[in-house]
Amino acid sequence: MAMIELQHLSKTFGSGESAVHALEDVTLSIEEGEIFGVIGLSGAGKSTLVRCINLLERPTSGTVLVNGQDMTRLSGRALREARRNIGMIFQGFDLLMQRDALANVRFPLELAGVKRGEADARARELIKTVGLEGREHAYPAQLSGGQKQRVAIARALATNPKVLLCDEATSALDPTTTESILELLKQINRTLGVTVVVITHEMRVVERICSRVAIIAESHIAELGEVQEVFLHPKTEAAKKLVLPSRSGKLEGFAEDAAATAVDECRGELIRLAFDGSSTDRPIIADMILSCGAPVSIIYADTRTIEGRLYGHTVLQLPADAATAEKMKRWLENEGISYTKEVQ
Amino acid sequence: MSLSQILALVPEALWESIYVAVISTAMAYVIGLPLGLVLVVTAKDGVRPMRAVNLVLGGIVNFLRSVPFLILFFFITPFTRLVVGTSVGSPATIVPLVISAFPFVARMVEQSVKEVDRGVIEASQSMGASNWQIITKVLLPEAKPSLINGAALSATTILGYGAMAGIAGGGGLGAVAINYGYYRQNYLIMFVMIVVLVLLVQVFQEFGTRGSRLSDRRIR
Repeated sequence: MAMIELQHLSKTFGSGESAVHALEDVTLSIEEGEIFGVIGLSGAGKSTLVRCINLLERPTSGTVLVNGQDMTRLSGRALREARRNIGMIFQGFDLLMQRDALANVRFPLELAGVKRGEADARARELIKTVGLEGREHAYPAQLSGGQKQRVAIARALATNPKVLLCDEATSALDPTTTESILELLKQINRTLGVTVVVITHEMRVVERICSRVAIIAESHIAELGEVQEVFLHPKTEAAKKLVLPSRSGKLEGFAEDAAATAVDECRGELIRLAFDGSSTDRPIIADMILSCGAPVSIIYADTRTIEGRLYGHTVLQLPADAATAEKMKRWLENEGISYTKEVQ
Repeated sequence: MSLSQILALVPEALWESIYVAVISTAMAYVIGLPLGLVLVVTAKDGVRPMRAVNLVLGGIVNFLRSVPFLILFFFITPFTRLVVGTSVGSPATIVPLVISAFPFVARMVEQSVKEVDRGVIEASQSMGASNWQIITKVLLPEAKPSLINGAALSATTILGYGAMAGIAGGGGLGAVAINYGYYRQNYLIMFVMIVVLVLLVQVFQEFGTRGSRLSDRRIR
């Protein structure tokens, strides 16, 4: 069942000449219990998209269904109550600086009118869930970035939401802390069954925890699918830009004279191999060189781990000799390894 | 007049100055605090934008703030007489002080509350906070240290205005400085009153700074 359904969602800021179309006709469905990624470069509209889900931003047109309820029809008290079913965390953590960790977690319960004792007990339990036991009475100024985000996560979960929206939640954190926060989100998703929507500009965040991803570019959804699929076979320019960071039309930093340093016979065409997680334990390039009896240059290589499997992209420069190059391509085809011609 | 005679004048004048300043500050906040909050809340980027209300209230504040205190003091004499029955003495000073100070207080409050991070307000909205809850549970508590600082500044300013009112029939340290010091050309009296005023300002300011620091959980 779809937990979140966006139908023909559009959001325009301003009007007339100066109007900015942040979102144009976005249709998207997020399943219950999944971790869904929304990725895009800054200014692509991804933040507006997530803010339309809990109506922090009111869409110009279209509908937003969360757990079957049309959010765009709500206002006032009904909207505030519906928002309690949608937790949200932010890049800047946005904790109340004058309240300690426990009081921050208790805050949404206070807003909902939960009795003090009950709210306190629930807050303590959540502080434990996010691994901050013993830090209940620390103020945000005394906590590290990662700890602050943990408090924010506990706070977002206080009202038992069905959905957790993460707006660039790890963008202000270092890689190690990012890793631990992502692990926590994954754990929450698993144990509580909360549907998680992750907004980010970093591919590694999506790779690490998301099952599906939507790529937003220029106010539209450019691509949508399983993370592996989008990563291995990006179809649109926008997707390629995010997935293959070194590829912007041609390989960055690769010029004719760079190739001159390579062995003379390796000056032929460039091909890109995509490893799909099934064959990376085999030394494919070495095998190819041995069986074809000619060297190749590795121009670019990158591997990533998605859900425990290794995926990679490698750009090879084949020998200048056309016959040998052909032989290598045939060898790859026979081995069932897909490759694409790389535009130089 | 000997120094001991002069010093004998101090306690009563000091007491009058303090109570006029404290009562006026308190009353200026009764009007200025809600007004400052309304200015923030109804601003274009506030939680409940209301252009007309914001423009009108902002206009009134700006108008009152541009009238110099002593002019206002004389100008509203009929009103003062209506409220307290007389236009001289300490209680009569409170009326023009409050009218003169509340727009200032409103701007101070506005500045303090505006410092509250926009993200925190938005986070509260995402948790289902109503505008009233945002004011009482987010804006005011988060701005508290800054509000306390502002209150100290307001109180010292009002203390100074109160002393100025001495020239026009008010009581307190300012009145003694003018009546005994200026009109009778006794510079020692003026000097003593100035010293007492300076010390009083120091005490008010120190209270504010300490109160603000002690209440602020961002440092430490």
